[in-house]
Amino acid sequence: MTLSTLLFSTLALAGVTMLATRFLGRNAGWLAAVGLGSLAAIVGFRVPEILGDGNLSAIRETTPWMPTLDISLGLRLDGLSALFLIIVLGVGALVMAYSARYMSGRNVHPHTGYFAWMLLFAFAMTGLVLSDDLILLFVFWELTTLCSFFLINRSGDKASAPAVRTLLVTAMGGLSLLLAVVLIVVRTETTVISEALASDVWAEDAGFTAGISVLVAIAAMTKSAQFPFHMWLPDAMVAPTPVSAYLHAAAMVKAGIYLLLLFSPAMAETPFWQILLMSTGLFTAVMGAIFAMRRFDLKEIMAYSTVSQLGLIVALIGVGTPSALATATLYTLGHALFKASLFMVVGIIDRQAGTRDIRILQGLWKQMPVTFVTTLLAGLSMAGVFPFLGFISKEYLLGKILSTGDAAWVGAILVAIAVFASATTFAYTARILFGAFSNYRGSNREVEQDHDHSMNETVVEAKPSFYLSALIPALLGLILGPAIAVLHPLTGAAGSAAAASAYEASFKLFGGFTVELMLSLSIYALGILAVTQRRSLDTFFERRYLGFQAIDVVEAIRLGLIKVGTRFGDTTRTDRPLGHLAAPWVIVAVLTVVSLVTVSNLGNLVSTEQPWTDLIWLGLLAVTVIPAVFTKFRLVALILVGAAGFIVALWFFSLGAVDVGMTQLLVELLTVVALVLILRRLPKLFHTVSKTRQLLTGLIAISVGAVATLATFAFTGRREFSDVGQYFLDEAYIDTGGNNVVNTILVDYRALDTFGELTVIAVAGIVVIGILRSRKVLGEITPDISKWSNTALGRTVDNTLPVRMVAKWAAPLIILLSFHLFFRGHYEAGGGFIAALVGATGFGLAYLGATSDSKAPVRWPYRGLLASGVIVAVLSGVWGFAVGSFLKPVRFDIPLPWGGEYGFTSAMVFDLGVYLAVLAIIIAVLNELGGVRETEKEPRSFAGPVLVAKEFSAELESQSSKISASVGTKELHGSDDEPGLNVTSEGGNR
Amino acid sequence: MSLALSVGLLVAAGTFLLLQRGMIRIILGFVLLTHAVNLLIISAGGIARRDAPFIGGDTSMAADPLPQAFVLTAIVIAFAITVVMATLAVVSRGDDDDTESETQTDEDSDSVSKRGESA
Repeated sequence: MTLSTLLFSTLALAGVTMLATRFLGRNAGWLAAVGLGSLAAIVGFRVPEILGDGNLSAIRETTPWMPTLDISLGLRLDGLSALFLIIVLGVGALVMAYSARYMSGRNVHPHTGYFAWMLLFAFAMTGLVLSDDLILLFVFWELTTLCSFFLINRSGDKASAPAVRTLLVTAMGGLSLLLAVVLIVVRTETTVISEALASDVWAEDAGFTAGISVLVAIAAMTKSAQFPFHMWLPDAMVAPTPVSAYLHAAAMVKAGIYLLLLFSPAMAETPFWQILLMSTGLFTAVMGAIFAMRRFDLKEIMAYSTVSQLGLIVALIGVGTPSALATATLYTLGHALFKASLFMVVGIIDRQAGTRDIRILQGLWKQMPVTFVTTLLAGLSMAGVFPFLGFISKEYLLGKILSTGDAAWVGAILVAIAVFASATTFAYTARILFGAFSNYRGSNREVEQDHDHSMNETVVEAKPSFYLSALIPALLGLILGPAIAVLHPLTGAAGSAAAASAYEASFKLFGGFTVELMLSLSIYALGILAVTQRRSLDTFFERRYLGFQAIDVVEAIRLGLIKVGTRFGDTTRTDRPLGHLAAPWVIVAVLTVVSLVTVSNLGNLVSTEQPWTDLIWLGLLAVTVIPAVFTKFRLVALILVGAAGFIVALWFFSLGAVDVGMTQLLVELLTVVALVLILRRLPKLFHTVSKTRQLLTGLIAISVGAVATLATFAFTGRREFSDVGQYFLDEAYIDTGGNNVVNTILVDYRALDTFGELTVIAVAGIVVIGILRSRKVLGEITPDISKWSNTALGRTVDNTLPVRMVAKWAAPLIILLSFHLFFRGHYEAGGGFIAALVGATGFGLAYLGATSDSKAPVRWPYRGLLASGVIVAVLSGVWGFAVGSFLKPVRFDIPLPWGGEYGFTSAMVFDLGVYLAVLAIIIAVLNELGGVRETEKEPRSFAGPVLVAKEFSAELESQSSKISASVGTKELHGSDDEPGLNVTSEGGNR
Repeated sequence: MSLALSVGLLVAAGTFLLLQRGMIRIILGFVLLTHAVNLLIISAGGIARRDAPFIGGDTSMAADPLPQAFVLTAIVIAFAITVVMATLAVVSRGDDDDTESETQTDEDSDSVSKRGESA
């Protein structure tokens, strides 16, 4: 199995498990467990392959990813990544099996999202530890952060704030890592991790090394919850217990440890790095242990315990010798085992007893003996008791810390701190055991206890399928102590990789009567003393000393930042257009003045002759635009602006822009239609504008217009034909097989651009639908035509007859024309835009002929059409991707039955996407603004204008008889069957 | 020069309308401004050559196709934005859009009935 197969197997497993949850519910966890377990086993079997070359050989794989940037999908399996991979996959398998019983069995929610995020996280961690590329490393690092955020966030309303805080802290670390990565890539000129770390830069430039070491340490400390970034971890405990067991104990918080070990070859010799890690680590170890003594929630105790234990590991990495690094990997493994087990136990207690508050829990050891034994085994390993794995790792840890520094007193002081932290660990392990399982209660816990919830009255032991996943790692901690030699190849290889020098592990369970053993014994002595004195100690620790917690500080910073951002944004936040337009105007004014003063030689106009028709267009524009500005009537203004749009289209035609002209013409038409639909909800007249405002804005407008004229005159038409334009004219046919150069630019050369535009259209359509459905829309103001009810004006059916007769014949023709324009688009004027717009005018015609809003004929599912437009375009892009690059056109000739052949290109499929989206937004606008909405209940008919025309003729026949019978009667206009103009539409829901 | 004046005219009118209160005038101003900018983009490609850029015949007088492609895209996007702005004009009440401060003539008030109140 190649490394990339391994990596993507985890991703595939996520997909398979997601599907499986549909059928198996929570039991899909078993499937995921088997999957992750097998992958862990595969990694285990490959360990011998990397033991060669003094434990330093590695399996490498490189797949090109972004070749132009020299970034590759570089994967590497060495000792370090193998050890972490086994933790990630192995603990992952246990947690997945645990989830299959922990998650609720009622299959109301099949937990699809939960399993998806958990396995996506497994994928991210696998990728992180396998990455041999700095960019890749960063991507996976961030992915773990995101998975953590979503896993916390999805566990209820209360989880949102902790999720955001967690994200803020860890994402800040991510930024720090990004900065480090960029600096390293720039300096070492490679993105390959092993090459970058082997660079001479580290030894030569102490300043650079120190700077990077701080950035890397910050990233690692945020992830591994080291002081002062520790507070997110207890905060994150709102997540379900399996999430905490996996992410916040065994795997994700170890990503920081992994990062430190990964960078050790370059940093370990740096005194700055050593001091930073040792001081932070030891301080965090003591702080976490003390906080664990102060908490009542078992999960919170576990969280602070994790903070504390990780502190010890960080300090150990600071020691930096190969044996210290190997011990760190052993400690990481041991911690993963006992902490995962302890977290799972907490979940079991929570499920069986209904609470995890040690002030409430009592005497569980009788009811839940297996759970008690599991906790005991894992706890003893955590406390470092002989002969557990935790004992060996702790003893070596103390030994390595003792040997730090040149002077003996440095090591002595440091080890004293570590001993204190370890003794406290012993004490809080007892706190967990006594608190949860015995009848012991602290002196004043009764008083403080939360009386709102209590323990379940009958507590029974969990089923084996539930507790087994917690028991296995706890037993492993016991077995691996005496059988420590089994781990020597793995930890040796990991230590070698972290130190970048050959190292053979030789951990011993009993190494004689050494200083380390004495230290261990003193830890036991102190610990046992603490246990005997627990009543007074608990009273001492559990008292509140400070009025606030670290998390309050984070929250204050977060709220403060938001407040600062709001203040900052307020400076430009205004509803007045003038407030926003002031800046560009000032810039334009300054540019104008500067240009007038400095620009002297503009170059000559290429051609001074201009067709006499240009003057006509100018004149026509003037007579439409100027009255449009001054009219008081909304409708008049709209018609004049629409007319101006037609004249602009004429301008385009006269400038040789045929496609543009056609598009302009059609868009103008539809804009007017859409705005008329708006106008019928608004008063006839514009509101009055004060003379002062008119004068002021008039002055601004005239000066801006003058500047625009000058600029257009000065800066255009003074150079020869552009090279790029010439290129298109020369090469477009050869490159694309299309004759219509503008269309080839749109769908072949700049297809991605057009794709963006297509997306804008689809989004605009969704926005329109969203706005109109979420807000109350103004009602229609309809003219009262009752006094004409007896005349033809009042009878809509008669009124619309001519239009319907025209539509009957024109609609099919318009459809045909639309198809014709679409298919010839690549070769002559036409294309997706124009074809869709033409098709849409067919719909416009159909609406015009409708007798009422509710009878408006088109019921196409325009939301689906909007989406399908984008989807079709994406598919055509993917088709291109398969043969080269996204949206690359695929061309072949299709022989036509009547001889000759049609030059097909996948660009036409893309154009079809454009067609669909443009058509859909127009139908959406007509329906939404016209007061007829697409609803789920309405039967969806795919009847296009062709069928519409048929419906019309049928309707016409039935109604004409009715009308003839009822001419001259008033009922016609009042009846629901025949809603005339005076009946308000459904859209007006005011 | 005619083109430059056209651009100037559209910009002036567009700016004036954009600076008024009330969404409809702003929308119309926006529409005019997009016309101006589109003409400006086309003219940036030069206006001496005015044949349509189709391959097949003589292309020595064909206009620059690239600005045309830009403008084609711009027109459709402007339409989408116009439509979004238009919906904003009818979802708020009691503002410049749905009030007339002009006194209505008898004829107006006669022909304008009350707003629809249906659901």
